[in-house]
Amino acid sequence: MKTAVNTVSFTLNGEKKTFSTRPDEKLLDLLRREGYKGTKYGCGQGTCGACTVIMDGRAVYACLLYAMQAEGRKVRTIESMGTHDKPAPIQQELVAAGAVQCGYCIPGIIMSATALMEAEKDITDEVAREYMDGNLCRCTGYEKIWVALRKTIDRAAAEPAKKAPKGGKK
Amino acid sequence: MRPDLLVKPSSLAGLWKALPSLPRDRRYLAGGTDLMIAAGHGHAGDCWIDISGLKELKAFRETSSSVFIGAGLTIAELAEMTAVKKWLPALALCAPHYASPSLRNMATIGGNAANGSPCADGVCALLSEKAEIVLGLKGAKRKMPLHSFFLAPKRTALKKDELILGFEVPKWRHVSAYEKLGPRSYFGISKVTVCVSAELSAGLVKEAVIACASVAPVPLLARKAAEFLYGRRLDEGTISEAAALAQSETSPITDTRSEAAYRKAMVRVLAVRALSKLPA
Repeated sequence: MKTAVNTVSFTLNGEKKTFSTRPDEKLLDLLRREGYKGTKYGCGQGTCGACTVIMDGRAVYACLLYAMQAEGRKVRTIESMGTHDKPAPIQQELVAAGAVQCGYCIPGIIMSATALMEAEKDITDEVAREYMDGNLCRCTGYEKIWVALRKTIDRAAAEPAKKAPKGGKK
Repeated sequence: MRPDLLVKPSSLAGLWKALPSLPRDRRYLAGGTDLMIAAGHGHAGDCWIDISGLKELKAFRETSSSVFIGAGLTIAELAEMTAVKKWLPALALCAPHYASPSLRNMATIGGNAANGSPCADGVCALLSEKAEIVLGLKGAKRKMPLHSFFLAPKRTALKKDELILGFEVPKWRHVSAYEKLGPRSYFGISKVTVCVSAELSAGLVKEAVIACASVAPVPLLARKAAEFLYGRRLDEGTISEAAALAQSETSPITDTRSEAAYRKAMVRVLAVRALSKLPA
């Protein structure tokens, strides 16, 4: 039985990290406190998806997890994606499609899209929509996000050499 | 109240052994998707026991006559299982309507029952599939029909420290239909749900179970409607009469999600849709 030692160790964006925490600190709050501010606080109750991160290959809401629940797991945040100078394909396409307005939902959108693309093959629009169900965007009406996502998926499908992603859910 | 102490046992045996040493005010944390929201409103105890590491709760077993699904399986994990698609068609049908993908990755089927809500999607599906719920406390196990587990809104038969171990669902050759009415097509809490599972033989109903959510203080079995269907052909008249019976068995209330009269009217509509949709 592991008692409350009030530290938590997990793999964050590929690096083993240990943080001090409190039993009642949410994973979202810990991430932001430690400078991973790409993950956003939206509704705080698992509805909007702004805080989506990937845990062991699956998209989850960081606002509904205590930091200590991440013990021993693999967590990926938006900081693991592309940079300003070298954006990831989904980021390039979102910009190209003009899909980013206020931008608050985008980190969560990207994490859900990443979970989708790593877990599924031959992604139909229906499957894509199902995966993106838990991410709200209040600016764009989603259309341009769909365009960007579809292009990214099709681009990845056209490059079979770059397949076999790591950290998929299977 | 939020947790002052968060402990994570790595086995059931370890959990039972540790219980006496933990603060008396304690509760279990599985997927957390209901609990974490309630925590903001002062519902929690001061020691939370994270049961997500218990392998025993992730069990999935199949015998010749039944399927056992561990309480700790997430909705996403269940939805991906071929045995679920085969033996629990209602649960498979309900999965896409169960909250959102991220919540399905977190929420467990045991938590869906433990929360004791009359609107629980997974519970509604399992009810229609004649599930029994298996509870454990230290060495002792008990099993009861899932419908008798729910006593009142947010009140279940769980005793102090008792844990839902899983659900046992008999193997029966049924087809299912899941009709949920929410504020939108996906990712909403149900205003009304009607789930029907039925075994048909030469076009006649051999057995039917009709489960309804959000229209009674507890997840409801519409028994009169199900009984009425026995031995009948699912034609328009039969469906309409069964739907009216199901409607008469519900007692919805008005709350933030919908109104009593609307819910009452919609039970009938959804029951007709579900019964008409059953694959022949």
